[in-house]
Amino acid sequence: MAESIKRKTKRQDPRLLILLFPGILMMGLFTFYPIIKMFIMSFFDWKIGFNQQSLFVGFQNYRDVFADPIARRSLVNTLYYLILTVPAQIILGLCVALLIVRITRFSVTYRLLYYLPVITSWVVVALLFRYIFSNDGLLNYFLADVIHLTNGSVGWLSSRWPAMTATAFLGIWKGIGWNMVIFLAALQAIPKQYYEAADIDGVNNWQRFRYITLPGIRGTLLFALVMLIIGAFNTYTPIAVMTEGNPAHQTEVVLTWMYTQTFDSLKLGYSAALSFIVTSMNIVIAVFLFRAFKAK
Amino acid sequence: MNSKNRRKGMIWALLIIMVAGLLSGCASEEPQVAGEPITITFWHNYDAGAGQQEVLNALIEEFQAENPGVVIDPLYLEWSALKNNVVAGATTRMLPDVLRGDIGFVPLFQSLNVLVEMDTSFDDYAKAAETIMDAPNSTAARGEHFYGLAANTNTKILYYNKDLVSTPPANLAEMWDIAEEISNDDVTGFVEAWMGGWNLCQYIWSNGGDVLSPDYSTAEGYINSPIAIDVIQRMADLHEAGAFNGPSIDPGAPGDTDGMGTGKYAMTIDGPWKAKDFATKYPDLNIGTMQMPAGDADSIGVLGGENFMMFESSDDAHKQAAWEFIKFMTAKDAQIEMAKVGQMPVNREALNSQEALDAMPLLPIFAEALETCRTRPVIPQWGDVSGIINTKATEAVLGLKPVKTALDEAAKEIDALLAK
Amino acid sequence: MKKKRIKKALVIRYLLLTAGMLIMILPMVFMISSSLRPNAMTFAYPPKLIPSLSEITGENYRYVLGNASFFQYMKNTLLVAGTSTLLVAWIASMLAYSISRFQFQGRNLLYRAIIMTMLIPGLAMILPQFELAVRFHLIDNLWGVILFYTAWMIPFSTFLIKGFIDDIPREMDEAIYMDGGSILTVYRMAILPMASPSIAAVSIFNFLFSFEELAWSQTILRSDRLRTIPVALTQFFQAHNRTDWGFVLAMTCLSMIPIVLLYILLQKYFIAGLSSGAVKG
Repeated sequence: MAESIKRKTKRQDPRLLILLFPGILMMGLFTFYPIIKMFIMSFFDWKIGFNQQSLFVGFQNYRDVFADPIARRSLVNTLYYLILTVPAQIILGLCVALLIVRITRFSVTYRLLYYLPVITSWVVVALLFRYIFSNDGLLNYFLADVIHLTNGSVGWLSSRWPAMTATAFLGIWKGIGWNMVIFLAALQAIPKQYYEAADIDGVNNWQRFRYITLPGIRGTLLFALVMLIIGAFNTYTPIAVMTEGNPAHQTEVVLTWMYTQTFDSLKLGYSAALSFIVTSMNIVIAVFLFRAFKAK
Repeated sequence: MNSKNRRKGMIWALLIIMVAGLLSGCASEEPQVAGEPITITFWHNYDAGAGQQEVLNALIEEFQAENPGVVIDPLYLEWSALKNNVVAGATTRMLPDVLRGDIGFVPLFQSLNVLVEMDTSFDDYAKAAETIMDAPNSTAARGEHFYGLAANTNTKILYYNKDLVSTPPANLAEMWDIAEEISNDDVTGFVEAWMGGWNLCQYIWSNGGDVLSPDYSTAEGYINSPIAIDVIQRMADLHEAGAFNGPSIDPGAPGDTDGMGTGKYAMTIDGPWKAKDFATKYPDLNIGTMQMPAGDADSIGVLGGENFMMFESSDDAHKQAAWEFIKFMTAKDAQIEMAKVGQMPVNREALNSQEALDAMPLLPIFAEALETCRTRPVIPQWGDVSGIINTKATEAVLGLKPVKTALDEAAKEIDALLAK
Repeated sequence: MKKKRIKKALVIRYLLLTAGMLIMILPMVFMISSSLRPNAMTFAYPPKLIPSLSEITGENYRYVLGNASFFQYMKNTLLVAGTSTLLVAWIASMLAYSISRFQFQGRNLLYRAIIMTMLIPGLAMILPQFELAVRFHLIDNLWGVILFYTAWMIPFSTFLIKGFIDDIPREMDEAIYMDGGSILTVYRMAILPMASPSIAAVSIFNFLFSFEELAWSQTILRSDRLRTIPVALTQFFQAHNRTDWGFVLAMTCLSMIPIVLLYILLQKYFIAGLSSGAVKG
């Protein structure tokens, strides 16, 4: 009761403005305004250049996006990348976290080494992976000349699905460290008593995981899921560097296609529409996930 | 109560001061002080690897010594970054004073209304243009007027690995046959770096076809003509046989320079810079050069090169200084210096000088190729048209679609674009 | 008996961790070893993971370190990353505190807007943002990078820190109010110290983001003296026709040092700061 009174009086406190002002100013100016502007642009045949008139076209840009086979393919590719990278990152990151959480020596070293890919520049590791997966690259050399599994060059990057899979490998590799850290935090927050009680009851490892660990990290799972899905929709560098969308836009993802349409074809209204379609998808997925987890 | 109001007032005042400070801090316009040097922003894509940026820096110093009060501020931007930055700057007038970029940029930028109409802005434009070859400078024209001045020119010739190709081909059909013959597990006969207009026009032209109608109004009956279909069909067959490839057809394939250098590719058709690339990176490569082999009609290459452009966003003083710089860069001496690092001159005197010839042993071959080469369609949509050709031709070469279907689609898409 | 079993389990743990780690660091090993080999041999076939002793050369490092610009790039990058990280830590913690502790008009709207911005593909806004940068004279200005990074990083940081503050008991707040402190005093005396682990954790993410962001800084920073490391790297291999691999890799290895140091320094808080309400849901 006392607290609510306190809060009510504090609510009128003008000093709250000092706390809120910098954040609202920064976001309002540099993100909210551009977002609104992009939304408006998506209904125009937006022209750039001196003294150019932009034409209002209603939903034409949205229709164009849905009618464009490359845009549709880029969406499918993005979803494929998402389906490959998100579960794999979570599972592998969680496995590493489960292993690390119970060790005492060298824990910091392992954490650092697993985190190393996260802190390396995207551009550089993407170039490295392009080389690893290229026809004369490290992987083919290993498969053919070291373990003699194949007889030469497998075109990992040569066609749509293998190339998308190769870029997904990069995404997974780069993301494990992030997931490890997030899950490590969650695991350490699970009260030790639960496990001790379980030990007394003599449960096996699987039961411990299923009935103590998993419920304990459910929230983190949801958080990681949402963040990784957003990340998958935001994928740009792996594709831009490893395949450049080639061959013939077969490996285009939403963001690379948006970039091409913006800067090469100057179809700004079109890209704005595409961007809002992706945003809506993100929102729908996020809301769905929140509901699904809450319902349980 | 009173003190509370006072505090409230203080907070508001503080906020207002913060906003005002932010806005004024950001919006402080720097006035041009008389006597201060004029700084010319110069965007370019001279290649650092070939040593062109060192030459450029030396030339800039020379220019600055001759023109006290003018400072050239060069900025290297890679091809697409160069274009993207102009695109991003077009609405906001954040543009350079001078840009040296692809001849294909002229129609594109001009369609954004950002380029200076140079022939009417400078009385001595005609005089300067006279010292320059007509064909390259024609790429700076849009309608009646000129929106640039040619900087360098180039076209493409055939490079072949002498260890792999024993007798150079007499014509295009023979070139494809040789590519097929010499290909095996380790060697791909021919490499094409990309499949757009810059790469494919030459084959279609040389066989007597075209990409667009002469008035650029339609692609129907041109890009999908029997001649074009034959050209692409041959490439598709060669790709199937492992004799035709490239990094855009197969992102896992080696790049064209490295692949040629390591003997994985045997032949390529490319511009003068390739000679320099091979010489610096693969000095042991046994490379042969010749004119692009003729097709059924002739040997018709694509005219490439760069133009200098200026932007409407500059004020008069900057425009004048920028123009002086352009004239300096297209004069004989600067052009010869650039020839030494692989840039083919457009200045007539430079082109015929012994010095340039010594610097570029391939100059005669290119000069001959320039006689018959053609410019790509000078339209603002060309970048997109070229992109469609690349997509459809690649789909055909990869066997994703029959060649005729792919090119019919290309014609339809290009026509939709041209209709706008 | 039981002790033995535990010991065996521990050995398996270490074995699995080490095996996984070897796969994880393979590309890094390749990167480091290539940075120690002559330029022309970077992508030779057959590939070599470990350079032979005779091949090892410090040439690439000498070139990068001997090039005075490298230190300028590093200084710019640290300035950009450091300033924007600090700004975000300050701004986001105040926002998070306000949203977590007070009911004010538009609170839910604000929080929803913050969540929404996290869901929008960043690249999509590049043109309107560029217009803004021009209007505020931020082109070719490190502030043009710092301010935008700050704005972009605020939503995620606010979200995480708010979740952490939600978990901080209010007794401390009340005690400070009793002593006549204002909400600002609470922020300074209670929230900042108590929420510091989560602020440190997001700061690592933020520092890393601003340390390696490329697309925007490439658009904004033009002069050589203002370039950040990622821009310099990209310019370098583009201008050199993507051939001088050794230099690029050496520069990358060197540029990772500050981040690794920061990670080691803050890693204790990293884990603690992330186990907050926001992450747990």
